[in-house]
Amino acid sequence: MKKITQFKPNRRHFMQAGMATSAALLANSALAEDSVLIPSRGPGRLISETGTYGVRSQYAKEVRMKGSANGLVGGAFTPLQNSQGMVTPSGLHFEVHHSGVPDIDPSEHKLLIHGMVKDKKIFTMEDLLRFPSVSHFHFLECAGNGMGEWMAPRGKSVQQTHGLTSCSEWTGVPLKILLNELGVHGNAKWLLAEGDDGARLARSIPLWKAMDDAFLAYAQNGEFLRAEQGFPLRLIVPGFEGNMNIKWLRRLELSDKPWWTHHEVTEYADPRPDDKIRAFSFFMEARSVITSPSAGMKLNGPGFYEISGLAWSGAGTVKKVEVSTDGGAIWQDASLQAPVLPKCHTRFHMPWTWDGRETTIQSRTTDDTGYVQPSYEEMYKLQGPIGLMHNNAIQNWHIAQDGEITNVR
Amino acid sequence: MFDNLWKKTLAATLGLSLCASLTVAQEKYGFGTKADPAEIAKYDIDIHIDGKGLPAGSGNPALGAEIFEIQCAICHGEQLQGVRAMGANSLHEGRRDIKKLPYATSLFDFIRRAMPLTDPGTLSNDETYGLVAYLLTQTGVLKDKDVVLDAKSLAAIKMPNRGNFIIDPASRFSAKDVH
Repeated sequence: MKKITQFKPNRRHFMQAGMATSAALLANSALAEDSVLIPSRGPGRLISETGTYGVRSQYAKEVRMKGSANGLVGGAFTPLQNSQGMVTPSGLHFEVHHSGVPDIDPSEHKLLIHGMVKDKKIFTMEDLLRFPSVSHFHFLECAGNGMGEWMAPRGKSVQQTHGLTSCSEWTGVPLKILLNELGVHGNAKWLLAEGDDGARLARSIPLWKAMDDAFLAYAQNGEFLRAEQGFPLRLIVPGFEGNMNIKWLRRLELSDKPWWTHHEVTEYADPRPDDKIRAFSFFMEARSVITSPSAGMKLNGPGFYEISGLAWSGAGTVKKVEVSTDGGAIWQDASLQAPVLPKCHTRFHMPWTWDGRETTIQSRTTDDTGYVQPSYEEMYKLQGPIGLMHNNAIQNWHIAQDGEITNVR
Repeated sequence: MFDNLWKKTLAATLGLSLCASLTVAQEKYGFGTKADPAEIAKYDIDIHIDGKGLPAGSGNPALGAEIFEIQCAICHGEQLQGVRAMGANSLHEGRRDIKKLPYATSLFDFIRRAMPLTDPGTLSNDETYGLVAYLLTQTGVLKDKDVVLDAKSLAAIKMPNRGNFIIDPASRFSAKDVH
């Protein structure tokens, strides 16, 4: 039986603790002369110094990549290359802003719901928190994710090519509860959702979506929203363009027509080669990408590698992910990691032994509507090579003989 | 302050779920405050495509040109060509081409809601009408350089590109639901 050593408080330890100098504590490690054991680290940082809100290890360096010409319009890309599982840490969630990030006191924030409803009402955050709540895991993807890739492969990493998608657990009030509470006019078909940022960003939302699975989120990954994610309130329209998930939500107006707002007719409409423009393309269609190994990485010689990536669909649930490691000749089913949820990132894996020869790896997903992720050639048939939004084409990573991985078409 | 909300909410929700288990259907939660028209008017900045929401006032291209020079040209360029370094694309071509907008109300709505970028909400109604008049004459949508736009005349503008918008069938809407 193992001898239990009695814990003997070290008087000096406690004296130092009182002085809150952990450096002095670390110096207080002595090793018995006859020990063959790896020396103990001794006591770590004082509990009083670990902070009341946790921070990651100083060795965890993953950061977002930021971009903005004028400082107010722009965003930050999620580092997908070392992402694990399906959830994005709140602090690494992508951002796109149209007038910076407002600082809103929740005790002063109000949501007005008016227009074609019987009762027009103003809700405080306290009011909204009293309604029944739901929590759902959903991805959010900017419609412009991969915008720079249409014409040619440009991104140097999966962060640059695909970093405008992230996944969180969101908690809030189902919008249908609020709308049923107020009584929707029979002719209403649309809602204007408007943010309380400087841009007062506004999008027309279909009433059918509001009555289906839309909700007003006040929490993300178990805590109140980050300011950058719309604190204190954001609309979640699962599977729809990220831009429609209005942050800092201050107003919902019901009407029989859409507003054709600036963002829905210019930035987020899809020009086509025939000079027509596709409008109200809400859905983020099925897409997948291998996150590891991916561009910017280098394989360390032939041998075993796990291929890992993410797949998602705004129209439903990921049914299948196929992976090719020979440039698209042979496709094999990857394993999907549970849980596999609707309108949510799904992590996939496939074991692979690299023989050291030059090759191209790629993934292709199919969702439960039967939709198959297209190649660039197939996507061009719909939007032409001039498209900007809704790039969901198959991504190819080229692996050179020396193991260097690059973004290729 | 905000953290206390959880506690209040918990108490309220517990009470509510007890009620819900006793009664078959909860008629109304009754939370929130009735919004009177004066309160709604403070928030209600949007312009509908039929012109509903357009405020009183008027402006012509000359007034718009004056405002554009002071407030807009630094990013959008003297010739509406856009200044890339400021993140602004051309208003003459491409994605932000003003000629391609389906409704002139979209333009008024956006200027009023979001422009100028660093000081949104500071333009008067006359100035906003003037800017719309200036932009629509500069891009050739309106031919009359002395046009005066107000709520009635702006709502009556037929934008030439309206018919080129294709409604994504996945939206579950057709033309009659959107125009």
